[in-house]
Amino acid sequence: MITAEQKPLDEIREMIAPYKRILVLGCGSCVAECAAGGEKETGMLASILRMAAKMEGREVLINEKTLERQCVKDFVILLDDIIQDYDALLSLGCGAGVQAVGDCFPEIPIIPALNTEFLGETKDQGLWLENCLGCGDCKLYHFGGICPLARCSKHLLNGPCGGSVGGKCEINPEIPCAWQLIIDRVEQQGGFERLEGIFPPKDWSKKQGLGPRRIIREDQQR
Amino acid sequence: MGSAHMNDRERLTVAFFYCRNIPESGETERQALEKEYGPSIRLFPIPCSGRLDPVHLLSALEKFADAAYLIACPEGACRYFEGNRRAGKRVERTKEMIAMIGLEPERLGMVINTKKRPKGLGVITAEILERVKSLAPSPVLKNSRVEEEKPL
Ligand code: SF4
Ligand code: SF4
Repeated sequence: MITAEQKPLDEIREMIAPYKRILVLGCGSCVAECAAGGEKETGMLASILRMAAKMEGREVLINEKTLERQCVKDFVILLDDIIQDYDALLSLGCGAGVQAVGDCFPEIPIIPALNTEFLGETKDQGLWLENCLGCGDCKLYHFGGICPLARCSKHLLNGPCGGSVGGKCEINPEIPCAWQLIIDRVEQQGGFERLEGIFPPKDWSKKQGLGPRRIIREDQQR
Repeated sequence: MGSAHMNDRERLTVAFFYCRNIPESGETERQALEKEYGPSIRLFPIPCSGRLDPVHLLSALEKFADAAYLIACPEGACRYFEGNRRAGKRVERTKEMIAMIGLEPERLGMVINTKKRPKGLGVITAEILERVKSLAPSPVLKNSRVEEEKPL
């Protein structure tokens, strides 16, 4: 999933300041899972912003709504009937959601309430870890299911670097050395020969180089 | 009648969200407390303090309360294991949020009941009312109060 964190309140307040009728828009999927932009967080942010406006004696309409997903048009069109009541949207979707909603209602300014962070997993309650860079050419099989691009601080495909101590990364001792994890895992699976070759430099053209990527699936089209 | 004290109480409205396992917190006791304090308290029983969503504290502050408090069972006595500890962290975070818009963090709080000889709901609410009585009326509600006062 995509992870995100709420922006500092001051930054949000500065961006919404010119507007009088604001819809605070949550997203019930990825950002709800990472407790940044789901229904609860959307309700809290809207409430805080309403209180701030009242304290300043400003007349501002601030309502909230949470879509199941902001990045899928089928859900965004649910706003069609209410959007005319607002002069700005404050989105708690990820960057993809903010843009998808913005494209549906180009006449209305849309403001991001979150900073989108990374593709990751929920490791534990309240702990999210980055584990994929979305490189477009997944090699996880060769690395025992642990991604060296996302989880090795040096992005080494032919690791380890030799600097890890006690299983920790030399760049950041708070994180495990990805190559230690890879070797342990591959050994556990008895597939050590998978690591014996030299991996050529990563072909990044599958991630970037031709502008934003697209996925086209005719079998899924209308 | 200790009228100064009564005025203090009448000035503020405090919302209490309390765990149903707190002693003397049944329906009869709740009604008795509401009768005693009138509009200065609002009581909301919840199944477990861990279930409290901070948005409830915020909407109390937004809509009617000068302060909102959560009353939880003692650490280790939570029927749902760790409900009260998680609630404590959420309340802390919510206090930080209101501080960011310039509201006193003391308008929110959590009181954990004592383990030895747990206090009843009436005793705890009285203690909290005493604690918050020096707060000024909430600046969030000042405009709605003015509106309400107009007809007089
Ligand atoms: S907008 Fe889409 S990708 Fe972004 S958080 Fe919501 S569901 Fe996830
Ligand atoms: S190799 Fe790593 S970055 Fe590329 S898709 Fe697989 S997990 Fe993601």
